[in-house]
Amino acid sequence: MELDLFVRYGPALLSGFGVTILCWIVGSLGGLVLGFALACLYRFGPRPLRWLIQAYVEVIRGTPFMIQLFILYFGGPHFGLLLTPVQAGIASFIIYGSPYFAEIFRSGFNAIPKGQIEAARCVGLSEGRILFRIILPQMLVPTTAPLTNFFIILTKETAILSVVTVPELLYETQTMASETFTFVEPFLVLSLFYWLMVIGTSWLGDKVERRVTRHLRRA
Amino acid sequence: MNFSFDVIWHNLPYMLAAARWTLLISVGGMAISLVWGVFLCAARISRGPFLSRIAALYISFFRGVPLLVQLLIFYYMLPHVGLDLPAVAAAILAVGMCSAAYTAEILRGALQTIPRGQTEAALALGIPTLSLWRRILVPQAIRIGLPSLTNELILLVKVSSLASVVGIGELTRISQNITGETYRPLEIYVAAAAIYFLINVILSALGRLAENRLLVG
Amino acid sequence: MGDITTEQPIIEIRNLSKHFDDFEALRDITLDVHRSEVLCLIGPSGSGKSTLLRCINFLEAYDGGEVRLEGELIGWKSAGAPPRKPLSGEALRRQRQHIGMVFQQFNLWPHLTALENVAEALIHVKGLPKAEAMTKARAALAKVNLSDKEANFPANLSGGQQQRVAIARAIAMEPSVMLFDEPTSALDPELVGEVLGVMKQMAAEGMTMVVVTHEMGFAAHVADRVAFLEGGRLVTCAPPADIFGREPDDPRVNAFLKTYRERNVV
Ligand SMILES: Nc1ncnc2c1ncn2[C@@H]1O[C@H](COP(=O)(O)OP(=O)(O)OP(=O)(O)O)[C@@H](O)[C@H]1O
Ligand SMILES: [Mg+2]
Repeated sequence: MELDLFVRYGPALLSGFGVTILCWIVGSLGGLVLGFALACLYRFGPRPLRWLIQAYVEVIRGTPFMIQLFILYFGGPHFGLLLTPVQAGIASFIIYGSPYFAEIFRSGFNAIPKGQIEAARCVGLSEGRILFRIILPQMLVPTTAPLTNFFIILTKETAILSVVTVPELLYETQTMASETFTFVEPFLVLSLFYWLMVIGTSWLGDKVERRVTRHLRRA
Repeated sequence: MNFSFDVIWHNLPYMLAAARWTLLISVGGMAISLVWGVFLCAARISRGPFLSRIAALYISFFRGVPLLVQLLIFYYMLPHVGLDLPAVAAAILAVGMCSAAYTAEILRGALQTIPRGQTEAALALGIPTLSLWRRILVPQAIRIGLPSLTNELILLVKVSSLASVVGIGELTRISQNITGETYRPLEIYVAAAAIYFLINVILSALGRLAENRLLVG
Repeated sequence: MGDITTEQPIIEIRNLSKHFDDFEALRDITLDVHRSEVLCLIGPSGSGKSTLLRCINFLEAYDGGEVRLEGELIGWKSAGAPPRKPLSGEALRRQRQHIGMVFQQFNLWPHLTALENVAEALIHVKGLPKAEAMTKARAALAKVNLSDKEANFPANLSGGQQQRVAIARAIAMEPSVMLFDEPTSALDPELVGEVLGVMKQMAAEGMTMVVVTHEMGFAAHVADRVAFLEGGRLVTCAPPADIFGREPDDPRVNAFLKTYRERNVV
């Protein structure tokens, strides 16, 4: 393997990895927050709002990420929304992920026995307190595994951002490949980077899961 | 801002024609995924440690690397190893090989829900392993896994848009081309989204129909 | 409330009715519960016992009639014919603090320890400082003989212990009445005694209690009065001696109790 190649392109690859991580973390955390808000609105909001949210979930889940990205990035200027590639990438990531997160949280809500919430009402706990003290901590139990899983799926979706020239990992890798006429080495390194992200995420997910299920283990 | 339905109307025939390629890639990919997935699943749960390890490695690689990267690798690598496939074939192969990793896991999950007693009963009757798989286990696993498999197919419809990157004239690529000529990205991409959505609605309805059929049968 | 005479019932239920869509779960129930009284609700499955209990603390919004706690209308802003406006969340929470409830399925919060389960509402509803809340919570746990289990999560408590924590959680709030919905029905037989023991002790200390139960022994020996429900109606409400006597007046009560007599429970 030609090492000097990596000396030359190392910084670019690393910066690409950085951009990938940035888009992934900001985009997926944004999607998580939006998804949670949607799930709450779905649960507590009025009925017409529910239909709206349901429609949003179906439409976003029924269309390719790439098309959503194109609508935002290329179509955005037509309604006055001029975004840089990174901005468009992150924004579309948030939109793309939110319905999946919303569905995970929605089933999480349903997994909590109604009686526990009634018991909380009986002692006079406020609805807000019930949400944050009774429902949320327990919701982490059934949702941690699917959340981790979806974070992992999202790591890979970041590659699509290269199509709108976001200078992320795949973009930099392709640049390197085309400039040096090498193929195997750059793509091996790229696979390694993604693999690292996946391993890291599932390690973290395991940790979180052990933490949030602490109370269920029998002594 | 003015949203022109005219632009959509004029270009709809081209887009619908391109959607056939989208369908071909996703359905073709699914076919490969199913066949290859069954073998992978069998290897994964086989007693041979070597085979099982290889299958596990395959599954974790194909699930761990972005499909777009796999597609590029297939597209650029196959000619290198002397396999000169048309681009569409390469895309279908890439999509199918990747999806097989997921299908294998879906089937493995489904197999685990089939009571162990059935296998034991078959073995006790002296039914050979191959027919046990072909006639008893796989059909049930597919039936149990059908909702997940329908989901997988819908996923493939969406990921087929990645094939645009290697220049295949499926729906996304054609939409890009039309946009290049008309400078109306908003209209065209919204129309493309609508077509994808429609395809998926139809496919999931078919999936539910198949589920009901299989449950009755 | 001023002058509370011993005559004024602590809970007054007047012409109470409750529908689930078209189904009439409760019909024209009128019933009083007096201070320090133990009232047992018995009746066949589906007769509306749980629904009646849940109307008292407005877990079910009743649609006709009134429920009053120490004279104050529960749940609705004003008495009178529907449609009525429900109280604000804040006002309803204030009322519910005075009504403790114990469920068949315990409904402890599994991610909190026994002590945290009991202290939660003391801190966040009553607004007690943490130290004081802990002292109170420990006292409540001591009352149900669980001082040594305060650090356990519910998963590490037996059913009987979980139910006693649930009782402690309710009594720590110092409610004026306690509602029990089949508190021992989810327990293994050998654990029933420890829960009933705690309840007997509470009765002896003068707690006002409304208890839905299938434990006819408890109803016969601890209750001051027993109410029999069937098909959403109150059939009779009388001292246990009248209900469990050899020949109760009402044939429906008789038929219901027959199954228990055959098992020599009463
Ligand atoms: N949320 C609800 N929606 C519709 N019907 C209900 C609801 N809750 C109760 N019911 C109906 O109201 C009737 C009375 O129910 P309730 O739970 O009060 O009976 P119960 O006397 O407590 O019976 P059990 O001894 O089995 O607990 C039943 O027929 C039940 O099906
Ligand atoms: Mg009941």
